[in-house]
Amino acid sequence: MNRNTVEQLLRDYHALRNPETDPELEAVRAAILVEDVFDVVLSDAEIDATVLGDASAVAALVAGLRRAV
Amino acid sequence: MCGICGMVSYAGPPDLTLLRRMMGRLGHRGPDGNGWYRDQRAALGHTRLAIIDTAGGAQPLCNEDGTVWVTFNGEIFNYVELGEELRRRGHTFRTAADTEVIVHAWEEWGEECFSRFNGQWALALWDRRAERLVLSRDRLGVRPLFFTRLPKGLLFASEVKSIFADPRVERAFDPAGLDQTFSFWSPVAPRTAYRGIEQLEPGHYAVLDRDGLRKASYWRITFPERGREPSQNVQENAAALRERIIEATRLRFLRSDVPVGAYLSGGIDSSVTAAVIARYTDAPLHTFSLRFADSEFDEGQYQKQMSALLGTQHQDVMVSRSEIAAIFPEVVRHAETPIVRAAPAPLFLLSKLVRDNGYKVVVTGEGADEVLAGYDIFREARVRLFWSRDPGSAKRTRAAELLYPWMARSPGRVPAFARSFFGRNLDPSDPALSHRPRWDSTAVIKSMLSGDMQDRIGHTDAGDIVAAMPSGSENWDPLSRGQWLEMTTLLAGYVLASQGDRMLMANSVEGRFPFLDRDVVDFANALPARHKLFGLEEKYLLKRAFADLVPADIIHRTKQPYRAPDAASFFADGSPAWFTEVTSERAVAAAGVFEPSVVAGLLAKCRRSGGENMSNTDNMRVLAVVSTQLTHESFIAGGGQWTLDRALPDPSVAVDLLTDDRSAP
Repeated sequence: MNRNTVEQLLRDYHALRNPETDPELEAVRAAILVEDVFDVVLSDAEIDATVLGDASAVAALVAGLRRAV
Repeated sequence: MCGICGMVSYAGPPDLTLLRRMMGRLGHRGPDGNGWYRDQRAALGHTRLAIIDTAGGAQPLCNEDGTVWVTFNGEIFNYVELGEELRRRGHTFRTAADTEVIVHAWEEWGEECFSRFNGQWALALWDRRAERLVLSRDRLGVRPLFFTRLPKGLLFASEVKSIFADPRVERAFDPAGLDQTFSFWSPVAPRTAYRGIEQLEPGHYAVLDRDGLRKASYWRITFPERGREPSQNVQENAAALRERIIEATRLRFLRSDVPVGAYLSGGIDSSVTAAVIARYTDAPLHTFSLRFADSEFDEGQYQKQMSALLGTQHQDVMVSRSEIAAIFPEVVRHAETPIVRAAPAPLFLLSKLVRDNGYKVVVTGEGADEVLAGYDIFREARVRLFWSRDPGSAKRTRAAELLYPWMARSPGRVPAFARSFFGRNLDPSDPALSHRPRWDSTAVIKSMLSGDMQDRIGHTDAGDIVAAMPSGSENWDPLSRGQWLEMTTLLAGYVLASQGDRMLMANSVEGRFPFLDRDVVDFANALPARHKLFGLEEKYLLKRAFADLVPADIIHRTKQPYRAPDAASFFADGSPAWFTEVTSERAVAAAGVFEPSVVAGLLAKCRRSGGENMSNTDNMRVLAVVSTQLTHESFIAGGGQWTLDRALPDPSVAVDLLTDDRSAP
């Protein structure tokens, strides 16, 4: 997994999304994708639209979670 | 598409009168002609729906020296390429039909020929010299093939009603088959709803000779280990999928000597197949759709949009609840098995529309939901898995709100209900995690069974579908395990059978399914799961692959699976007379499947509400009772007197080697 992979994933994801959706629910939707693709488990604090909307943050988050396993 | 039947008898010559009776019960599958063959040990029957080589393709058909005979239902779509290869290897063809490819392919490659076929088929080959019968069925069960074992032989047919033409065959429900139906929505091959009647498993062939019956698979549903899929590139995979679907659709549209139409549901699957036909072929396209008087189910606006875009000649049929109620007995008689949904009924009316317009072949989008992960059951499973990682999390609980936004009574609008439903019986290590909610909710039907039927089910072994999952499947993506279960149970047993083949063939119409093409399925099964279900976005790769051919509002519309008004149809405008009769306490007691007092209570409750706001559970209960009672009345009670018998015209093939000493046709 590298930054480009995450960026591409988030670009593909956001192309499908409706920006008017409830942000917390949107974060849950994004978390389902991130956990499935990268085989990680996010904490409630990490299931956050700000975190999951930012490619750098997601890349760092996933890398950190994978190191911790 | 046709009807096939036949028998092998090592005890004495086959009964030609019985064979003709069996054929007569398959007349709806093949109104264009019929034929038969008989020798000392075997008899083959065929009723023909003429589609390829309409002048020369009569069956049963044999090889050059008359030693191998075939009766065949379906299509081998790559018959042109196989025929060229077989000619290069020295085989001589007398017809231009795909049927003839089968006998030569069998001669050339033996049982390996089946893995070379790209198509949809059920067939029987009789090798006179070896006195050996070979039965074969396509990979996913598009075409049906039933048989019953005799002390020294076997009877086989496209439909059970044909086998029941033999008065020696027992007519009784199989408790294990009912047990499966009231969990999985249908029996799982080799079981059927009837004791002693088997269906050949999809992807299998069977050989019968004097040593007995042996079965083997030539193809299996399989998936790669998660993370080891051959290509991880989503753009490349989208292009490759597109190429395969285009080719599969072209083959199914062009390889026919009669005009081919297309279903247009308003969803992405049939929109893709219709759009491919419009873009990649020159022929005019006629499309057909179902409309519903109930706005909850109607997709008319999308159908019209797509039809206008493609410039098709379009027709639809508006279906009301009263029509569903009126035709339901006929629907069950064609399905020949209990069903827990009324959805086949409108499809019966749709195939009638096709036939009434002079068409006998349609291309449809069937199979895309299973092969490319379109069903909500897959999204449910992903939500359940997500949830299970921290069931106490308030945020994870909200994931239930992402499911079923199209439903008027979405679980997401009642979070407490969603939590109890999706959180129930939740075991992340369960290989069938995806299917437990459906199986559990369907199994509620079994609480209505009579004490005797419960005892009989308790003493049978319905088989453990989870234990039957292939070794190595524990390393598949959870989505792949869900797809395997869906293809093994619902696709073959219900979608392609009660809702597919039977409703099409009831009106002598052949369905062709590009998404179930051999190359499409093999490619799709090897894809990374995220390319099919991207987060909660279903059929993601399909949407990417055809974004230029299908309008964005159809591609991105909220998924609406094909649904129809269900049990409410029997109560909305007063119950029809047949309904009152088959669900009477006397009739329910006579069938012995359900407890009469419990049925009476359920029906009284539904009558009081006029069928309004029925729960999913009550819907299934009513459908299960009514369809089981109709099945009993039609095929079991009184020796199964009801038939679809019709007088057949003079046969175009009639070879009787018992009375005619010819050794070749």
